[in-house]
Amino acid sequence: MLPNLKAQSKWGWLIAAYLFLAGLGGGAYVTGAIAGWLGEEWLGIYKIGICLGFPCVLVGCMFLLADLGSVKNFWRAAMRPNTSWIARGTIIITVFMIVDFIHIVFGVWPAKSLAEAAGARNFISVLGIIFAFGTMIYTGILLGAARPIAFWSTAMVPLLFLVSAMSTGIMAIILIGSMGSEALAGPLHTLAQIDIAIIVLEMFVLLFYLQGTHRVPESRASAQLVLIGSVAPLFWLGVAVLGLIAPLVLDLLDVSALAAICGIIGGLCLRQVVLAGGIHAPLKAGRFEIALPIV
Amino acid sequence: MPRYGFVIDLKRCYGCYSCQVACKAANHTPQGIDWARCVPAETGEFPQALRQMVPLVCQQCSDPACMKVCPTGATTQDENGIVHVDKNLCMGCKYCIMACPYSMRQTVDEWKTYFPDADGELDAYESYIKAQWEEKNGYGIATKCDYCMDRVKEGRDPACVEACPAKARYFGDIEDPESEVSILIRRERGFQLNPEFGTDPSCYYLPPR
Repeated sequence: MLPNLKAQSKWGWLIAAYLFLAGLGGGAYVTGAIAGWLGEEWLGIYKIGICLGFPCVLVGCMFLLADLGSVKNFWRAAMRPNTSWIARGTIIITVFMIVDFIHIVFGVWPAKSLAEAAGARNFISVLGIIFAFGTMIYTGILLGAARPIAFWSTAMVPLLFLVSAMSTGIMAIILIGSMGSEALAGPLHTLAQIDIAIIVLEMFVLLFYLQGTHRVPESRASAQLVLIGSVAPLFWLGVAVLGLIAPLVLDLLDVSALAAICGIIGGLCLRQVVLAGGIHAPLKAGRFEIALPIV
Repeated sequence: MPRYGFVIDLKRCYGCYSCQVACKAANHTPQGIDWARCVPAETGEFPQALRQMVPLVCQQCSDPACMKVCPTGATTQDENGIVHVDKNLCMGCKYCIMACPYSMRQTVDEWKTYFPDADGELDAYESYIKAQWEEKNGYGIATKCDYCMDRVKEGRDPACVEACPAKARYFGDIEDPESEVSILIRRERGFQLNPEFGTDPSCYYLPPR
């Protein structure tokens, strides 16, 4: 007989907000940095993307700090990078913030001329893109390192978070860009088209992620919790409708600013759904299987 | 160096919760923290159903999942195989709680009184245990069982072992082939919980009848 497995509750919305903002910041940076190589027309997109990365990740880190039980020791977060993904992630995210900060400063006189002359902008863009991808992917690997939680401990989580991060990053740029001048209309339309493709991809990744939960009882219980259990309203309304279907339809109807708002909220809901669906494996004492009493 | 471990005899445990209470008394743990606990389990269906009490403590894994994921270095393993957490180094990220297959890392945010009728004031005993808890552990950090190392150093057994009236718990060096625990593990086919996570616990269980 299967015990009544319960989801973890120690990581909630604060961690979800952190995972979400780290992803969004990374996605916006990558989009911006690539736009920087596409010529004069894309200059506005480049600036928005570069300037979104650093503040979003920084605010995300504030959410992480708010969740800590003993904030005074936060500076120790990177002491064990040899084994801990929080420590590795702290290093990745710190380097990303530093690189993006330098990148932003490059846009300001007098550093501007220096950067262009030395070709340093290309170098810093490549470095930034590498660490932005690190930031987007590590948030998924971080969860996966908790091996007793089978719902997290799968290669699909980093992929899902990466696709969602790119999508929300692009949508954040679209949202801010559409408030600006008409000159950006062309590139923004192209971005919206790319976003449609990424949303479709995200739908498939999510589908395969949930399909892959059939292997062990605890991840089947997670899938049940997410699809028909207490997390289901958040999943169906927040992730499926608001995060995927609405932005897809609105992008197709060319209302991309509204699509962006829906999609960004959906990205946050996605992180919370994955966190709230995390169920520990039951204890196995010989023939007996026991749901863990706490967590 | 010894590798301290437990042997818990499932056929002897009758679920009196003495271990859970003795641990609370010895370690002054607040509400919501049970380093030692006893949980009911069942298997099979009527008429072949079985009910069993399963006492749990920190499994003191030789390859601890909680220590691997700890980003701060607050979680360490001593030369006796006991996993400790340093309250001055832990930042309370709760990653160990997610990674422990046995749910033995626990955290509380505040002291909740055991005696809610007492007008919000703590009585003398509870003030004492609260101060003890704050001195040795505290709030927000991921605490854990250390097999009562301060008692063991004085030559005593951990509190839960001393308290068990059924003599279902044994404490000793599982690396010494002549120790009582090693003999029990060999003779009665002791097994570990959830071996699939590869953490190699130092806590062994003897099968129920």
